[in-house]
Amino acid sequence: MDSAGFVETEDLTKVYSSGKIHIVALKDVNLSLEEGKFLGVTGPSGSGKSTLMNLLGGLDTPSSGSIRVQGKFISELNKEDLALYRRYQVGMIFQTFNIISSYTALENVGFPLLFAGVPKKERNRQAGEMLTKVGLYPRKDHRPAELSGGEQQRVAIARALVNQPKILLADEPTGNLDTSTSGQIVQTLSELNKKQGLTIIMISHEQSLLAEFADDVICLRDGEVVDKEEIR
Amino acid sequence: MRISDYIEQSFSNLLKKKLRTFLTTFGVVIGIGALVSMFSFGKGVQKNVTDNFKKMGLFNYIAVYPASGRSRNKHAEFDPDDRQTQIQNEQFPDSAKSPILDVNFLQEVREIKGVELAFPEIRFPALIKFREKEQFSLVQVMSAEVCKSELMKLRAGKAYESDDENSLIINDSLLRRTDIKEFEGLVGEQIEISTLALDSELLNPMNIMSIMQGEKLPFSQESYNFTIVGVAERMGMGGPMPLRSDVYIPPGPSEDMKKISLTSIRDFFQPAEKLKGYSAITIRVSSIKYIDLIKEQMENRGLRTFALIDQLKEIKTAFIFMDMFLAAVAMIAITVATLGIINTMVMSILERYREIGIMKAVGASDKDVKKIFFFESGMIGFLGGIFGLALGWVVSILINQVANYFLAKQGVPYVDYFSFPWWLCLGAVVFSVLVSLAAGVYPALRAARVDPVVALRHD
Repeated sequence: MDSAGFVETEDLTKVYSSGKIHIVALKDVNLSLEEGKFLGVTGPSGSGKSTLMNLLGGLDTPSSGSIRVQGKFISELNKEDLALYRRYQVGMIFQTFNIISSYTALENVGFPLLFAGVPKKERNRQAGEMLTKVGLYPRKDHRPAELSGGEQQRVAIARALVNQPKILLADEPTGNLDTSTSGQIVQTLSELNKKQGLTIIMISHEQSLLAEFADDVICLRDGEVVDKEEIR
Repeated sequence: MRISDYIEQSFSNLLKKKLRTFLTTFGVVIGIGALVSMFSFGKGVQKNVTDNFKKMGLFNYIAVYPASGRSRNKHAEFDPDDRQTQIQNEQFPDSAKSPILDVNFLQEVREIKGVELAFPEIRFPALIKFREKEQFSLVQVMSAEVCKSELMKLRAGKAYESDDENSLIINDSLLRRTDIKEFEGLVGEQIEISTLALDSELLNPMNIMSIMQGEKLPFSQESYNFTIVGVAERMGMGGPMPLRSDVYIPPGPSEDMKKISLTSIRDFFQPAEKLKGYSAITIRVSSIKYIDLIKEQMENRGLRTFALIDQLKEIKTAFIFMDMFLAAVAMIAITVATLGIINTMVMSILERYREIGIMKAVGASDKDVKKIFFFESGMIGFLGGIFGLALGWVVSILINQVANYFLAKQGVPYVDYFSFPWWLCLGAVVFSVLVSLAAGVYPALRAARVDPVVALRHD
């Protein structure tokens, strides 16, 4: 497979309309990411970082332009296929972790497998394996309230990877964490990137983290890519 | 997602909000309980009526009446819907040709294939005196043959042996009215029957003035003595029954009695000795299949007939209306319960807005989300159906006990007023699930429409 176009966007535009008001969240964004790369996305609030993430994650659809992942135009998929894309092709983690408070760590990690039709026993086995990878197996029966922020984000990472996607989208994963925990989380992501060849796109305000771990960094402002920096 | 996962998910989600789930389900329980008890009451009554009719063989009877006079024909013309009578009247305009319901006719009828029993209906009012009590009552003339048949259910004593003895059978109903509780000792007691008859001698012009002034009514009273040989069981049902009088006497002694016929006004004004034939004949057929044939034979000869089986259709229609009314009452409760489910499910969506966003982010399709909420409302319906059925059953037992307790005091035998056929039990649960699923349609669609981008930002 041609790794040059692993994740590609072409004139990607997203306009939010509310009555007569139109807000351009993204404008003609062109990206090309190779497989196994770690891309950092930075930019001020409201610059369209999360919109880009939602479009790449298949949670939202572009107003115009296209997104191609592994050669497949995901911007043209219908709702059902988009759900399959989210289920098997990408994993997402968020600033607010977005894990379900009433579920245990194990149940949270196994949650995506539920929609894949995996039987409960197998779900628990695979979820247990993922928790072991992020170093949280001993806490598998704990609920989010009993876990620290860092631990919750690890649960979220384990959940994002349980279906073995090729791409991980991280929307400010360290935004709610202290500096040392942030470092540990990004370190974990970096290891996944290096050891397993996981393609990662991470939004972060923390320039130092991006400088340390990302292969490339792009900066967005008012929905447009204003700066493209190839670190390595 | 697997079916077992949907069930497990919905169950655990419902358990997270125990009180709310309980209250919503309880609404369904009440609705289904009401529906079940109403329906089982309707079915119970229906079953009682038809079973009783069948048990008593009432569908095997045809009542035959003499041809109607001109007055009936005129009456029929006023009723444009009564086509049957019109046709009949057109076919048999001359009722004079029709046979008289007498002993000879009775014998003729008895020889028709399928006729098991044929007996005349002779009933007249009389004053009954015994144990120093007087009771105005109905006396029915009944042959020994009929009295000895299974039609007559005796609580004490036995039926009279011949048609000529001065014996009678007294009915339980009369004893109850005269407040006599034990009936064992009654057999062998003497009883006096006083009849009234229109006295044609008193109707002469000389007496007209005093008759009009009410001083001297044109009736004569005669008394006759009988011995009680048996006590008959009271019949529970109405309708054109062969045995529903207070006292039964054999035909022999009745022939000499002066009496007023009760079944026709025309007979009433005829002097007793001029009465020709019986006012009605009751025929019992060995099988329902003979009913139409015999009816046709009788009608072809210009006689009028009545068979209860013809009424069955109308009874069934009446039951359908009763069922519909009862169901309408129960539907009010079901509607309220349905609104409760919708409310609960919508609340649940608002609370789990973010969770729905997460579901979608990790790969749930709109269909998956829809099904999760469908299963939840279906689960409420299923639980509500099961417990509602149980509630309806318990309530029906209670009502049955209470109703029978009070009715037993009035001498009504124990009756099961409720019936739980298997299809009602199954139908109640299925209906409950279907109604709940219907209630879940809007919430499920709403949940499926949740925009994950908005939901994940939602606090």
